[in-house]
Amino acid sequence: MAPTLYSFLMSPYSRSVLVTAQALDLELDVRTINLKQQEQLKPEYVAINPQHTVPTLVDGDLVLTESRAIVTYLASRYGRDDALYPKDVVTRAKVDGLLYFDCATLCIRWRAVVHPVMKAGVSKPSEESLENLAEALTWLDDKLQQQPGRYLAGTVQPTVADICLATWACTYEAAGFSLAQHPRLAAWLARCRDNIKGFKEVSDVGAAQYGEMFKAILKSRS
Amino acid sequence: MPLDFYWMPLSAPCRASLLTAKAVGADINLKELNLLAGEQMKPDFVAINPQHCVPTLVDGDFALWESRAISSYLASQYGKDDSLYPNDPKARANVDRLLYFDMGTLYHRFGEYVYPVMFRGGSIDEEKLTKLHEALEWLDGFLAGHKWAVGDNITVADHSLAASVSTFKAAGIDLEKHSNVSAWLARCEGEMPGYAEVNTPGAVKFGEFFKSKSG
Repeated sequence: MAPTLYSFLMSPYSRSVLVTAQALDLELDVRTINLKQQEQLKPEYVAINPQHTVPTLVDGDLVLTESRAIVTYLASRYGRDDALYPKDVVTRAKVDGLLYFDCATLCIRWRAVVHPVMKAGVSKPSEESLENLAEALTWLDDKLQQQPGRYLAGTVQPTVADICLATWACTYEAAGFSLAQHPRLAAWLARCRDNIKGFKEVSDVGAAQYGEMFKAILKSRS
Repeated sequence: MPLDFYWMPLSAPCRASLLTAKAVGADINLKELNLLAGEQMKPDFVAINPQHCVPTLVDGDFALWESRAISSYLASQYGKDDSLYPNDPKARANVDRLLYFDMGTLYHRFGEYVYPVMFRGGSIDEEKLTKLHEALEWLDGFLAGHKWAVGDNITVADHSLAASVSTFKAAGIDLEKHSNVSAWLARCEGEMPGYAEVNTPGAVKFGEFFKSKSG
């Protein structure tokens, strides 16, 4: 029986899981939880996940939240090889380090850019929040400079870290921001689009929806 | 050869990784950095870690940061078996879920509550405290029915959560209303190897710092 995934295409965290499943040729029973309509707060969903976050994966008796735990689980359980989540201890630590960076540095700095606009009626992102985000992108850009042509963890093939960070990066671009100041990141994102199965079909489509929403809000504030 | 570990005792993530280092018996060379005095910005350290954050582990020519990646690495590289970080994908997924929950939700909400008071001259925000208790209640649910965070053995999830939750307690957060969390933390205090040595002093210092600012 295919695992069930509760997800919302607009959200990069859901898209990371959807892209990972595509890359693994893994069938998922995908059920949409519309966050714009607060469907995550419905009692039947809270019964599955009391924290009512999205995505949630149900695989037999495993109920799994946290998108990055889900992608590493899927890669470990269903990967034909370990390309997406290398077993070598040092390489894996680099992938994990990037996933945690995504979770608590990049994500937080991104939210500081967009949330005041989306949720607090501010007319545009603050300079400080944009600078903080640019700093984080510079760290990634510099990392790529040290390993030309490779992916973020220094691997020859993309890993789940690339999937998670790339689904965010295409959301960033779709919302109207530019990677021009971070050319290696831009080149890396292009490589991800071309080489990660399902990326264009899944992530770019969802990112475009997010972008439309964000731009409409910005316009309404001006 | 000993591993270099750059840290600050106040920092819960640093203490989490040290708990794992203790558990696997790793030979650690402690290098304390005072972040409040900007010591992490010194060129030698930035050369090792351009992100200049702590904890940072240096194992030979491999430098690693992000405390939970460090804990998982230490368990995988130096653990005598996989009990700290199970190899089975489902068991490991439950550990990872809690590591991300701790980082992105639980400790994050604590930081949102205490950091403005400690570092930016802000005052106590009851709404943020309510959000922290909401996250603690979720943790309470996750801990129900088993001795440690995930089942019957200590894992790196316990290390990460213990460092976080002990810091909350030291800062005066009332854990009594979360009975599973209280019982589990008491177990960590009593039974987790290295807890008194590597976690308690730093947690106490953090609590004192917060209380001195919150009046």
